[in-house]
Formats: sequence, C-alpha cells, structure tokens
Amino acid sequence: MIKQYSGIAPKGDLLLIQRLCDKLQGKSFVHVNSTREGGGVAEILHRMVPFLNGLGINTRWEVIEGDNSFYEFTKKTHNALQGNKEKFTRKMWNHYYEVNEENSKKLKLGADAVLIHDPQPAPLINFRSKSSKKRGQVWMWRCHIDVANPAGSVWPNLKTYVKDYDAAIFSVPKFAKSLPIDEFIVTPSIDPLSDKNRDLSEDEINEVSEKLNIPRDRPILLQVSRFDVFKDPIGVINAYKIVKKYNDCQLVLAGSPATDDPEGEEVLNKVKEYAGNDPDIHILLLPPDCHKEINALQRMSDVILQKSIKEGFGLTVSEAMWKEKPVIGGAVGGIPLQIIHGITGFVVHSVEGAAFRIRQYLNNPEMSRNMGKRGKEYVRTNFLLTRQIRDYLSVWYSMKNRGKHIIEL
Amino acid sequence: MEEGVYSSSRTDNMGKKGKKLARKVEPFEFKQCVSILKSTGRHARNLSQMRQVISTIGDESIFHHVYQYFLKGHIFEYTNDFAHWAGETLEQRALAERLSNIDPYTFKSVNGVRKELIRVIDEFLKEFPRPLDVVEGNEFYFVQTVSLVFPSGIKTKNLAEFLVAIDHIDPTSIYYHFYDSRVRLGEGMVDDFSRWIEHTLFRKELADRIRDIDPFMHSIERLRTHIKVIVGEQVRADMEGVVI
Repeated sequence: MIKQYSGIAPKGDLLLIQRLCDKLQGKSFVHVNSTREGGGVAEILHRMVPFLNGLGINTRWEVIEGDNSFYEFTKKTHNALQGNKEKFTRKMWNHYYEVNEENSKKLKLGADAVLIHDPQPAPLINFRSKSSKKRGQVWMWRCHIDVANPAGSVWPNLKTYVKDYDAAIFSVPKFAKSLPIDEFIVTPSIDPLSDKNRDLSEDEINEVSEKLNIPRDRPILLQVSRFDVFKDPIGVINAYKIVKKYNDCQLVLAGSPATDDPEGEEVLNKVKEYAGNDPDIHILLLPPDCHKEINALQRMSDVILQKSIKEGFGLTVSEAMWKEKPVIGGAVGGIPLQIIHGITGFVVHSVEGAAFRIRQYLNNPEMSRNMGKRGKEYVRTNFLLTRQIRDYLSVWYSMKNRGKHIIEL
Repeated sequence: MEEGVYSSSRTDNMGKKGKKLARKVEPFEFKQCVSILKSTGRHARNLSQMRQVISTIGDESIFHHVYQYFLKGHIFEYTNDFAHWAGETLEQRALAERLSNIDPYTFKSVNGVRKELIRVIDEFLKEFPRPLDVVEGNEFYFVQTVSLVFPSGIKTKNLAEFLVAIDHIDPTSIYYHFYDSRVRLGEGMVDDFSRWIEHTLFRKELADRIRDIDPFMHSIERLRTHIKVIVGEQVRADMEGVVI
C-alpha cells in the first residue's frame, strides 16, 4: 500500500515510515475510538489500519459501544471541552465509566502500542493489564478536539484518566494541557488516495452535480461539515447573503450524520429554517459513505469555507486545499496552521470577513488559482496521511527511547 | 552512488603532496531528520512572561524555536519563532527586528543564545515596561522536539555525484547537514558538506567557498541553489582542467 503513495507523498516521510516499521516489525498496534463511520478520525483509521498491516505492524481497530445516555453524555463532554457550559452529574460520570468497563471486557486491548482516540474511550486506561507497562507496552491518548479552554469541571474529571497514560497527543500546541506525562503534537491529515480526495474526471463531477441537483452555471460556495453549532452554518448563510448582493452565486452546506452526535438533527433543522426558501441554498445531508460526492462537491466549488467558531483541526480545509481550491477558515483550532493567511488562503474572524474574502476570490480568479496551487503543495508537505502515520510511529518509537532528544535510526 | 574507490590525478589540489596512489574515499552519506513536536506545557501571554519562560525553559525548547526555525517549510520575514511572535502577534516591529538579528551560529552554546534573547527583551522592556497581554488563543506556546535521524539511502564519493545528489535530497537533509551540524559538531561555523569536501576530498578552497555561504540569510531551497552553483562550477572546472 505504501507504494501507492510514492510520487504523491514526500519521499522522506515514506522512507522514515519504512525505517520505523523495520524497527517495530511484528509488533502490534491497536486503535480505539467510538464510531466506525462519520468524522475525520474514522476516515483516517479506515486507511491507516491496512497501511500499517501492509508494513508488518499487526494493526487493529476497536470501536467501543454505548447506549443513548452514554453518547448524550460524551457529546456534552465534547461540547464542554470546547468551552460550552454543560451540566454534569456524578451519575453521568459513573455511567461513562461503567460503559467503558463493559467495553474493556469485550475489546482486545493487549498490544505493544494502544492508541485511544478522544474522550469517549479514555477510561479504558483503568483496565490496562498490570503487566502491560513492565512488558514495555505503550498506551497513548489521542485528543482530536479543541481543549484549549474547557468549561467547568469537565477537564479535571477527564484528566483523572488521561494522566495515567504513558503519553498524550494533541493536534496543536495550544491544546496541550498541564499533565505529568509526555505530550506530543501531531496534526491530523487527509488521505490523497481515498474516494474523498482522489482525482475525479469531469464526467464524474458532472454526474454528482446532476444527482444532487446542483447546477454548475454559477459560482458555488461550499462548506462541508457536520451540522454542529461550532461549525457556524448560520454564519456561513449570513456571509452568503452579503455576497449575494454583489455576486450571483449559490451556497452548498453538506454534512453527514455521525452516530456519536445526537445534536446534529436539531442543528440541521435550525439551519433549514434559517435558509428559508432560497433556491440557491442547498442543504445536503449525505450518508457517511458519500465520499465521492463530497469530493465532487469540493471540486465543482469556486470557494470553500470552514467558518468554524470552535474546531479541533478542521480537516475539510486541507481537503479543499488539496483540490487547489481557494479557502476561507475561521481563526480557531488548527485552521490557522493550515491556512497561511494571504498565502494559502484567508483566515477570518467574522461573518463580514468571510463575505469580503469570498468576494475577493470571486472577483480575482488568478489570485484564487495561485492560492490554490500553493495550498496544495503546503498540504502535500504537511497534512497527508503518510505524515501522520510517520508521526504516530515516531511517538511510539520515541516512547521506547524515552529521554532521548535525538534518535538515530 | 555507492561506496567505492576514488582515484584522482588532481593531487595538487588535494593538499597532501606526494599521495598519488589510489585512495579509499569515505563516501558522504546523506542523512535526513524529522522532528516530532513535544509540548513543554508552558506559554506566554505577554513579553514579560516570554522573558520569564525563556530564562528557565530547557535548552531543547530554545533550540527548537531558534535553530530549527529554518526547518519550517515556509519562510517568513523573521529568523526565529520569538521574533515572529513579537512581529506578528505583539506587533512590536522594532523588537522583532532586534530578535531577528540574533545569529545563533555565533554563539558557542544554546545558553549563549538564551542570554542574548533575554538581553534584547530586557532592553526593550526598559523602553516599554508595561507589555500588553495578547488576545486569547494568540499566546506563545513553548515546544521542544525529538529528532529522528535516518539515512536517506544516498551516498556520494566524488564531487560530480555530490552535485547530482544535492539537487534531489530532501530539504530536511540539507537542514541536517548544513544547519544542525553546526551545533552537533560544536565547531561553530562548520557544516557537514564542507567538512567532507575539505577532509575527505581535500578541496579546501571549495570547502571555504561553501563555508562562506551565510546560513542565516537563506531558506533551505536557496541554500540548495547556492551549493549547486558553487559545486557545479568546480565540477565543470575540473572537467575542463581550469583552476578556480
């Protein structure tokens, strides 16, 4: 599988992956998260697991299961970690722990490296076998969300689990917390070969345009994201309304439901209501496996937005940049790491800012093209799947060589 | 470009007269490095806090924010992360200029750089003693790195091969051999390339020309171009029998 990335991903990344896999040959690696479909984590795991297996690392992916109250609680923790005030009771935290305890009995967690993704399965660390540490197994907690300013007691509660891991991994330095363990920074990534990012023919794009009933006769503005208040879909509609006074265009808001997001439907209904009867606003709720459709939507668009007000990383920005599209992102989470303002896109702080930059793009096609080209190269160097695999393996290997700042391979 | 025996008739340029026998040449092995970021858990909201953290943080963090600035894919108008933050976030251009003017390769240790950073900040704080806090989210986060060094699989045993290789190697390889080496070797102004050219190929004049390139004034790609031009001239001159 690694050969497929040759000529696409930076050669140095592929070389280091191979070196590290040689060093870790035959060892086992298990990932645990809370959903097999929907969201960036699941998408990446779908590719990363076979990739590592192909290089001799015995890699598995386990998914925890919970009841409705568990997912409602973890959605609340997600929101609170991102700064929203939420009410929690001791009973909720106990149930969260019990669901993880139940899962620990079913999941096969014995591996040389265990990577637990996000808060939902964080308490699994309490069920780590006693001999695990002695045998040199490494347990890592990977936080994909913006935890820079958590509200209330959510972080202190979660920290009681996180502090027991060997290492924590955050997406950007400002998310890292005060912890007694090693904390690494690994930015997320996109897969250039997945259905969501591979090259598409004009016929394939047109086919999707017809299927989704999106005419290509006028400029298309697009935001792809879950229907979540933190993605600010209402703000995007407001920006579109400002632009519409000057440029004839249409807006597409496309998202997929995720099994671990019970609030999605409520937000979607609000967005539909706000959009009203404007025939140029297309609100699309696509099944989670509609990757090719999302790819085509991005490729047929003229400007792509990710106007989040809270964000883990905002991978849709890299997806758009990979397709050489001019992008506009909110100045939150990992978005400013992807968009070098004025070079690979524009970072905005308001609805008005988003509207202004959309107009700039629509009126300066050459500038849009140049930004798009620079954006693609920036993503190639920094945000492809191979770089993330390289980093996970590097973190694992460096944990086996703790205390060293330079490791010769 | 595999390891081999280099036989040269240009012994007059080798600096060791009389050694006309075939010589076993130690090939130059290009290595690459990748740095994984680690959080130090410390950050600064204003210049005073930055000064305080700089004075106490580990050498590895100072090393990353100053020396590894050149490893970043994009080059801004500054020469280290502290200057970048001063200019872009604090919007203190004069401070940014002064911090940018600190050349880390003129110091014998990371601690020397640390002292100079503090001196420049202290001087600025004397003029402007009440630094403002930045807005939330724009704080300076101190990080450090773990560097993984690995062979690129490319070895060269003469200048012509070196010239071909320099065109194709990864930017991190140039960083490792041209920037990182100055700290690693502890010889101040010496990089791996010129060291090999002087001590293995015995081409001191060429080595000196490479050492004359100011690492501080170039991005990695511009540096690649400079080295290509200098080595290319020498290779052409060797082929044509011209003494440069």
